[in-house]
Amino acid sequence: MTVQHGTPAGGAASGTGLADVIDTILDKGLVIDAFVRVSLVGIEVLTIDARVVVASVDTYLRFAEAAGRLDLSSTEQGLPEVVQGMTQAKAVDQGEPALEAGGDEADDLQMDEPEPARARRREDR
Amino acid sequence: MSPRGTEEPAGVNGSASYVYGIVPADVEVEPGTEGVGDPAGQVRLVPFGEIGALVSKVGTDRPLGRPRDLQAHQRLLDQAAAEVPVLPFRFGAVLTDTEAVVEELLKPYHDEFAGTLRELEGRTQYVVNARYDERAILGEVLRENDEAAALRERIAGTSEHATRNERIRLGEIIERAVAAKREADTAAVVEDLRGLCEELAVRDPAHERDAAHVAALVRQDRRAEFERAVDELASRWSGRAEVRLLGPMAPYDFVRTS
Repeated sequence: MTVQHGTPAGGAASGTGLADVIDTILDKGLVIDAFVRVSLVGIEVLTIDARVVVASVDTYLRFAEAAGRLDLSSTEQGLPEVVQGMTQAKAVDQGEPALEAGGDEADDLQMDEPEPARARRREDR
Repeated sequence: MSPRGTEEPAGVNGSASYVYGIVPADVEVEPGTEGVGDPAGQVRLVPFGEIGALVSKVGTDRPLGRPRDLQAHQRLLDQAAAEVPVLPFRFGAVLTDTEAVVEELLKPYHDEFAGTLRELEGRTQYVVNARYDERAILGEVLRENDEAAALRERIAGTSEHATRNERIRLGEIIERAVAAKREADTAAVVEDLRGLCEELAVRDPAHERDAAHVAALVRQDRRAEFERAVDELASRWSGRAEVRLLGPMAPYDFVRTS
């Protein structure tokens, strides 16, 4: 059985980024401290703060800037045109991410494809 | 996260046991499975009774948390979870040695862990993350909010310095409107999926344009049905928000200390 990381729903291409991993394993899961205190070893854990984000003036200015650049007529088109427009805009805008700046740089660090399962039940083998 | 505990590492040569999670004792780890650390430790199972801990040796003199480490932790647990029930630990749990893993973790909490593993048998986690398309969501807000539309007209062609207050006000309106849409859309996702899973947990947004961020515990025999529902959601929101389905993965959002 292979694990499908970041399966894009509806066919759009995307993968599991580092940000997804951080959201999950640094933020969720059992905390061992709750069980063990005696021989827990303190190792420095490097973390990236991929969290949003209390809205700040910077957020507001970025939203306003993006709204200012928006061509409103294009957002009222039918869906296919909108999708097409988005794709084109992406290609043009690559140099200056508007709302991306605060959130998900880590998304760019795509992970490798998952390997086959490494831990399984003995009976299955 | 800050270093935990103040004791000196007891392991000789400055090594200790990194713990990934708890699995049934009959799980076998493929030789050569690499874990966290540099050099990467070999992952093995430390069994006790019905349960076992997935651990690897890790040096205590280097910080953990490179992308590779995070990836190794999640990959091991998710791949195990595809086949067996797993109690995933949060990244960064390290005990002095394997004896401590048995004596302080597995032995005292054996029954509790074994019970939770039995409850998780045949269930797996997904995460649904929907993110608004920037243009689409801004367009929605500007069409629905007259003040926002007026402010947009006012800042057109001006410098950030000249219309700073108008810009901040506009951004604030947009931020609030997006938050309100997120709340409504998250509720819609929960409504869509609640009948298809055992449990749902709404996560904090991971991005300012998140439309929904929801973890779901799904029975293995309902996975296809669940995935279809998420696909339908993705089609419905096509052009407005991108819907991503992460998983199946270990049930990080559904393990808790009692």
